[in-house]
Amino acid sequence: MTDAADVLVTGDRIELRFPARGDLIVLARLVTSAISARAGFDIEELEDLRLAVGELCLLTLHGSDARSGDLCLELTVLGDAISVVCTLERAAAGEAPGPEAAEIAQLSEQILDALVDEHGRESLDGSVRAWLRKRRGGHAE
Amino acid sequence: MDQEFDITERAGSTPPVIAVTGEIDVATAPQLREWLQRVIAQGESTVVLDLLGVTFLDSTALGVLVGALKRCREAGGDLYIVVADPRIMKIFEITGLTNVFTIADSLQAAGAS
Repeated sequence: MTDAADVLVTGDRIELRFPARGDLIVLARLVTSAISARAGFDIEELEDLRLAVGELCLLTLHGSDARSGDLCLELTVLGDAISVVCTLERAAAGEAPGPEAAEIAQLSEQILDALVDEHGRESLDGSVRAWLRKRRGGHAE
Repeated sequence: MDQEFDITERAGSTPPVIAVTGEIDVATAPQLREWLQRVIAQGESTVVLDLLGVTFLDSTALGVLVGALKRCREAGGDLYIVVADPRIMKIFEITGLTNVFTIADSLQAAGAS
């Protein structure tokens, strides 16, 4: 049985901030699973979101000319959908991503295309802001 | 609870069978890359990668597998992937990699002995 206090409703927003390191992206996946379940997504959608948010973090991390700072994840419940925005903040300049990063980014884009309803990314001063939106029961592969 | 990430090589198998358990992501994929590079560098051109115990796979992991496949094929061999979990199989399908890799649902079907 679900307690009303466990349910997230429209407008509820959760932020997660952690050092921009690949080994900590698991935190983003765990939080996404918990939030998605409380927002009413079923187990398959929840698994899709967990994978998609991991890819969103990778796109943000590898698409930026920086290797430091914090990854900031903002999850917002919007009616029957969830919106996730990932940004790299307080980043210092670093090496540009190599060709392997471009191949992985292409795979990330394919995964997002298949799993969520909308997604995108924008470059801002050498950093990247990546976002996605997924509806409950709304995405057909 | 998810299985811990681990890589083992099945003793005495031909071709060599590398078994992975747990989550292969940006944090753990480099370990798999190193393991596969070492096996291929030892002269093995065909490798069976047992992913039956894998619970999560991301684009970084796929990048490692694609790189290993290229090295195996350049050496005249192949990289066989063993997957049974529909969630893991789905990741290969949505990225179109089912057309790139030889994927089997059991070690036997992958030709491991």
